[in-house]
Amino acid sequence: MKLSDTGTSRVNGYLFVLERSLSTFLPRDSVRDIVREIDSHVRDRIAAAEPVPDERAALEKILSELGPPHRVAQAYSIERTVDEAVVTGKIFAIMRAVWHVAMSTVTGFFAGFGLFVGYVMGAGFVILGALKPLFPDNIGVWVNDQTISNGLDIGTRIGAGPGVRAGEHLAGGYWVIPIFLAVGFFLLVVTHRGARKFLAWWRQRRPSFSVTVRPTL
Amino acid sequence: MPLDTWLEQLRRGTLDLAILLTVSEGPRYGLAIIQHLEAFTDLVVTEGTIYPILGRLTREGLLDAYWVEDEAPHPRKYYRLTRQGTKRLVHMKSEWQSFAEKIDRLMTAASAAERHGRETQ
Repeated sequence: MKLSDTGTSRVNGYLFVLERSLSTFLPRDSVRDIVREIDSHVRDRIAAAEPVPDERAALEKILSELGPPHRVAQAYSIERTVDEAVVTGKIFAIMRAVWHVAMSTVTGFFAGFGLFVGYVMGAGFVILGALKPLFPDNIGVWVNDQTISNGLDIGTRIGAGPGVRAGEHLAGGYWVIPIFLAVGFFLLVVTHRGARKFLAWWRQRRPSFSVTVRPTL
Repeated sequence: MPLDTWLEQLRRGTLDLAILLTVSEGPRYGLAIIQHLEAFTDLVVTEGTIYPILGRLTREGLLDAYWVEDEAPHPRKYYRLTRQGTKRLVHMKSEWQSFAEKIDRLMTAASAAERHGRETQ
């Protein structure tokens, strides 16, 4: 089958959308290579198709068998980002995959937000533990002496601050260092494992991104 | 787990092996791999989603990809097994055969027990 100008425009439009979708998470060289390969696939399919009066229908069939361009791009994103994260467990791969999933679905967004909080809290505790020897009066546990008389106030504050305020005292000595470090590393490990499990689960429940069983003809 | 999900997971789990087997016969480009899979298996895939899998297998060093410019009116990207891919395929085939034999034994035992149960009723 030889394509008309309209058909060529339709194919170019498909490839354009694919390229735009891939460009959001892949380097330019990879995008160019992928688009070239998909272009080659479409040309092969068109060349093998019998000439038909309804070119549009024949072309749409070829493109639908290939899958919508955003789905093809999603399949690439799953293979590259989520698989890499699940398999390697590397921190940056995990974070990149969580970010991608968080930007793709509502469930992913909330899970990503929870994991972000976990990572930030874990890193925060570790940083506090590391900085305590340098800022002994600014990091620790403050206990508000007036909590009982003021029911709305929070009785205890943990973290870094300008120092002891009126009506409270610093309860945290150097003993908070191992506690902060332990809590921080614990949170980081738990969050990281949670992120990996979440990504594995997410990948599992979206099998159609990797392989879709075509209905029997 | 619904049967469809289980079947899809089963297919996905075996697709890497099927692709490596397909390419082990000689270098093939994407569409040729898809057509080969369609001809020999029921691992019919959405065509656009096989390319990411080929990309992953290439990144893992199991396949080698290269462009052939002058074979057709347009360039084609071919895939062939690397040495690492060949080794992996040998292991995968052995594991698959062992796995299939165990499942076969289980199914035979289950069928025998079922027959026995029917006869004693």
